Formats: sequence, structure tokens, C-alpha cells
Amino acid sequence: MASSDWKNRFRKLPEGHGVGIACSSYLSGAGLPIYWNDMPHSGVQLKLDRSGGVTAFCGATEIGQGSDDVLAGCVAEVLGIQPIDIRLVTGDTDLTPVDLGSYSSRVTLMMGNAAIQAAERARDLLAEAVSEKLERPLARLVFADRRVFDAEDPNVGVSFSEAVCLAETRFGTLGTVGSYTPPKSAARFKGGGVGPSPTYSYSASVVEVRVDPVTGWIDVPRVWIAHDIGRALNPTLVRGQVEGSVYMALGEALMEEQEFRRLPPRLSHALVHKFPSILEYKSPTTMDMPDVVTELVEHPDPRGPFGAKEVGQGPLLPVMPALANAVYDAIGVRIDEVPVTPEKIVKALAAKAAGKPARYGPARFPDVPWPDTLQVPPPWEGGDGKAINEEGKRKKVEGQRTKIAVVPS
Amino acid sequence: MMRLPRFAYHAPRSVQEAADLLAAAPGETMLVAGGTDLLPNMKRRQQVPATLVGLRQVSELQQIANGDGVTIGSGVTLARLVNHAGVRTAYTGLWQAAAQVATPHLRNMGTIGGNLCLDTRCNYYDQNYEWRKAIDFCLKKDGSTCWVATSSRKCLAVSSTDTAPALLALGAAITLVRADGAREIALADLYRNDGIHYLTRRPDEVLTTIRLPRLEGWRSTYWKLRRRGAFDFPVLSVAAAAKIARDGTVEDACIVLGAVASCPIDVTAAGDMLVGGPLTDGAIARAADAASKPARPMDNTDFSLVWRKRVTRDFVTYALRELRGDDVRDLRRRIARQELLGIVS
Repeated sequence: MASSDWKNRFRKLPEGHGVGIACSSYLSGAGLPIYWNDMPHSGVQLKLDRSGGVTAFCGATEIGQGSDDVLAGCVAEVLGIQPIDIRLVTGDTDLTPVDLGSYSSRVTLMMGNAAIQAAERARDLLAEAVSEKLERPLARLVFADRRVFDAEDPNVGVSFSEAVCLAETRFGTLGTVGSYTPPKSAARFKGGGVGPSPTYSYSASVVEVRVDPVTGWIDVPRVWIAHDIGRALNPTLVRGQVEGSVYMALGEALMEEQEFRRLPPRLSHALVHKFPSILEYKSPTTMDMPDVVTELVEHPDPRGPFGAKEVGQGPLLPVMPALANAVYDAIGVRIDEVPVTPEKIVKALAAKAAGKPARYGPARFPDVPWPDTLQVPPPWEGGDGKAINEEGKRKKVEGQRTKIAVVPS
Repeated sequence: MMRLPRFAYHAPRSVQEAADLLAAAPGETMLVAGGTDLLPNMKRRQQVPATLVGLRQVSELQQIANGDGVTIGSGVTLARLVNHAGVRTAYTGLWQAAAQVATPHLRNMGTIGGNLCLDTRCNYYDQNYEWRKAIDFCLKKDGSTCWVATSSRKCLAVSSTDTAPALLALGAAITLVRADGAREIALADLYRNDGIHYLTRRPDEVLTTIRLPRLEGWRSTYWKLRRRGAFDFPVLSVAAAAKIARDGTVEDACIVLGAVASCPIDVTAAGDMLVGGPLTDGAIARAADAASKPARPMDNTDFSLVWRKRVTRDFVTYALRELRGDDVRDLRRRIARQELLGIVS
């Protein structure tokens, strides 16, 4: 709010220029796996060799979001070594323990916790061996700067690689595992596994727009975004993810749309995709990206690895409503659907001029004949993913399906 | 996966050699320069030439020659054209048009000649073979129905070249060379308002040069409507050029609309209305009204046709304001996502 100078801008900018705000929350991974079981959601294996090398194995898939960096960072932090000291083997189900995948904003929280558990188990082995060798109490040993040393007498210590050798001598070949299972979810119906989450991130955004009162053309010069990350394990990557979310959000807010159109009856009468091509399914380019002012809010979460929470998808959410609010502040019309386009603004302005409600889009959520929920007991109550209420008792919904809006040809 | 069909490839070193290759089998041979338009089309089977004649090694097509005006070889890449200070200074509208074609990567490959001959576009045509087959194809290729307007007997695919409207407003002429001769025609005569037969170039002709006259006292500009500041083809464009006396009197003017028909539309009447007086707000408004009338956008591009038709007037206004000398940098940044300032000589 302060960085966007909200108080001096909201309702105070000239016609055609406005700001809007919105807040949102997002899960850090789903509480139940997509396939129904109560096994861990993420597993990490560590191998420590006598040169002091550490290899971390995890099924988590690096898709550019930085999950490899989080894995190396969590292990390094616990063992007092540098991320560059760690070899990573990830995303290869032949070699790695299971991680459910890069979706649902779950990897940092779940893999991070598994990595910390594996690393703490390794640290305990090393600490025990070093404690015996140096004859110093376990509780006083610190792992930092690639050394293991006495906190009260830092000169007394061994290098990390010596610590590994001592532990291998003491315990044999070293390897540890860690895993993470979310707290039990309250969900008891089909689909309820998604939503309940170990913890939630929070985001807020202010969007500035300029709207041409004649053409409806929209320009977004700046977006301010604040994201409660819990703790930023790598602030550069977190900012990258936040800015990426703003980018995705602006695509949703301004461009991305699938339009359909019905062919005439004398032809096939088929419902066809109007723009079946990525060239016409538009997302912003670097030319369209506004300035993004990113504020990270660090309020460590007790359930996150070192307090960290998700950043992959949450910061996307407040941008769309903030943009719609900014359009209203700029030009006094409400666009009640995405994408917010110049055509819709022109139509809403025309409605306003004609004395009708100054808005465009659906008036309310459509009527949907929702069926009864399917009751599915959680895995720890013996549920196998199948509904226990019978199919026949569900409301009949045939013939009442929601209608697909058809663009007139 | 979409793969190129099989074809024979020739890489001649001279225009004569290229023309001879075309003459050998004119219906089955196509020219390729940057390939940014043709090769994707071939993968989607919109064009399936048996033979391609590559023009990249024809050095005589790569020249930009000064003289009485400027002569640009058809093989000059859009990137080279954009980096040419003389073009940016004397033919600002052309520079602004070339600078807004697609992306830097595509401008590095694509040529001015290729952009002038760009295939017309339509969202029922620019799709892969399987999708087009699923709707039983369209009038432009392999089918009999125009899906844009099912009662139309004429293909309504859209002229989507950026540089053609800009060059038309500047009075360009082109040279077409065939094996046994050459002809120079006004660029305007290259185009036909027909989505299928959109060029008057004969299949055995090579477009070799684009010639622009010396334009003392002229200013020119190009405004392009597209959703994003890169990649997208124009879905409306306005090229305008005017000769303006020191006292502000318009001595000559030309306005050309792009992407509102199957060829660029020269709105001569609107340009003529401006002659003899200064570019006042009133004169600009009257010309913009007149210029927007012939725009016939169809429902086969991004943005709704009603809105595209509606904002034609506004885009003509922007162009004429820039010719008047207004500071339009802020407007440019909002519309084009870049300032596109010409160089004042």
C-alpha cells in the first residue's frame, strides 16, 4: 500500500487513469494425493561419501521454478555446507524416491520438509561421531562454514569431510532418508483432497491502468505485488516466481480466452474452436510486461521448511480482480469476466451512457444443478478412493447441464 | 507432428537463374527468402510446392541503394531495413511498419519482399491440416465454404502485411523480373482484393526491388493495431504520409488502411480532403471519418470486427496527429508498447 502510494492515487487520478487492489490466498500443496493413499507425498534420500560429497535424490521435478535449488539449499543449511557442494539427482523415478510432482504449489513445502528430515538424520550421525572424537557434548556442536565445531570453542572442530569420514568409520556407509506426509485432511468427499493444505500463502496486489475512454484500450503501466512467502529460501528465485505470476495473471486478465462458435445447421452444426492456435491464444510478451514492484513478506510458517511457503501460483490470484477494480477506478465501469478487453469496456461505457448498469459480463453465477457430493472416506479410515454413497441415490442431472455460451456466427 | 513435405531445393546465385528455375515449372515452383511465412504454411500443407527456389544467395537482391529516392532489394531483411538510418529518417512510416513486424528473430530472417507477398490470413485457414480437414477445409484451400461468411463466394482472408500499407502511402513502385523480361509497376497494382488471388504477380516472376521516390518535405507514419507489442500480425493498420509546407498547409496526403480487407485499401478521398489547409483538429476528424468508411474488417482475426471497425477512425486520427507534429510518444507507448520515434533530418 505504501509503495504504491495508494492513498494519494485511489479515486484521485484523472479520468482514464486508475488503481485497484485485491488480496488472495493460495494453498501450499494439497492435503491428499490425487491417487488415494496415506503414504508420504515426498521423499528424499541422501548419500554421503568420504570425500565430503553429498548427493540428494528426490523425485521432485525441476521445471524452471527452482525446486533443485530449494532441495540443495535445505540440505546445505542443515549440514552447514554450501548448495554447490551438493549433487542433485531429481525427477528420475528410476533413481529417486517418490515426489508427487510439480503441481499444486507443493514442492518447496513438501520436498523441503523431507529434505530437512533426511539432512537432520545425517547430521545426527555425523554429530555423534564428531562428538566422540572431539570429546565435546553433542548439544554444543554446530554445523557451519563446512565445519563441525564446538559452539563454545569454535577452534575445536573438524572439516565437514572429516566429519563424514568419522561417521562412516563409526556407522559404516552413510545414507539417510526423509519424507513428508501432510497433516490429516478434514476432507471426506470426492475432490475434497484439494483445498485443505498444510498452510496457505497470502498475496495482495495493486494494479495501475490507463483506459482510453473512446476506444477502451487498456494499458497497464505498473503492478505492485506483495507476497507472504513465509521465508524466502532464495529471494531471487522467489521474486522471479512472483513476477512470473504477475505475467501469467495479466495474460488471464487481458488476453487468454477460448472462444467457440457453432457452425450453421446446414453444415455440420459442430461447435468449433474459434482460435485453435497458440498464436491466437495470447499471453503477454516482454513488450507488454509492466514494471512490477515486488514486496516479499517474510513471516515464517511453522509448517514450512525453515518457514517457507509456496510462491508458484498464489501471487497470480490478486492481479485479475485488482485489474478489474482499477478499470472501475479509471473509467467507472465494471467488467465482470476475464479477459477484460477494450471491446467489453466500450460496451460497458455504452450501457452506462444509455442509463443501464455500467458493467459488462454475467450478472451472477450461473445456476448449476449440483449433484450430491460423493462421500469418500480418507485413506486412514480405510477409504480406497471410491464413494460410499451409491451412485443411484445421486440427483439425476441428465438434461440439466449448464449451457455453453455460443458466439453467434 | 507437422513436418515439411518433400520438395526439391535450388539456391541460385542470380535473379536470372532464379527466373529460369521458375519458368521451368511455374505452377509447381515457389520462391523462398526468409521462409518465416512459407515454411510454416508448408508444414500445415497450405502450400505444397514441388520445388523451392531459395533467394538468400542472390546478392543483387540484398542491396539498399541511394539515388533519386531509395531502391531496396526484395531480399533485404526487415532487421536490416530497421537498422538503416536513411530509411528511418526519410521514410519513417516504412521504418515504423518494419520495426513492428513479428519479433526480432523473425525480422532477422524475414525480408521486405516476403512481407509484401505475405499470404493472406484467416483463422480458418492458418491452422494445421488435420484441423482444416475436420471442418472440411475452406474456400482458400482444398474446400468450398468460406467459414467467415458461409454465403460468401469470395475468400475473405485478410491482408496482413505491415510494410505494404506504409510503402503504398509513400508511393512505392516494384520491379518484377521473369526469364525473358521485366516490368515495373506501382506497388498498388500488385494487390487484388481477393483472399486467394491477392497478388497480380505471375507465378514466373521474381519481385526484385522496391523503389521509393525522393520525398522532400514529406512526413510519414504507421499505426498498427494488435493485442500485444510483438508477434502479432496487424488486425488494423493505418499508414499515412503527407507533404506539409512550412506554414502547415498540407500539399499532398495519402492514407492507406491495412488488414481491413484482402488487400491494403488506399483511401484517396480522405487524403485529398486534407490538401490545401492545415491539419486542424476539425480537418483531421473529417478525414478520419472518411478514411474509416471503407474499412471492412471481417470476423476472422483477433478482436471483434465491430470494435476494429469502430477504432479505425481513432487510429487514423493518431496517424494524422503525428504527421501534424503532436507529441504522440505516450500514446505510442500505450498502443505499440514502444515509442517508435523517427529521426528528424
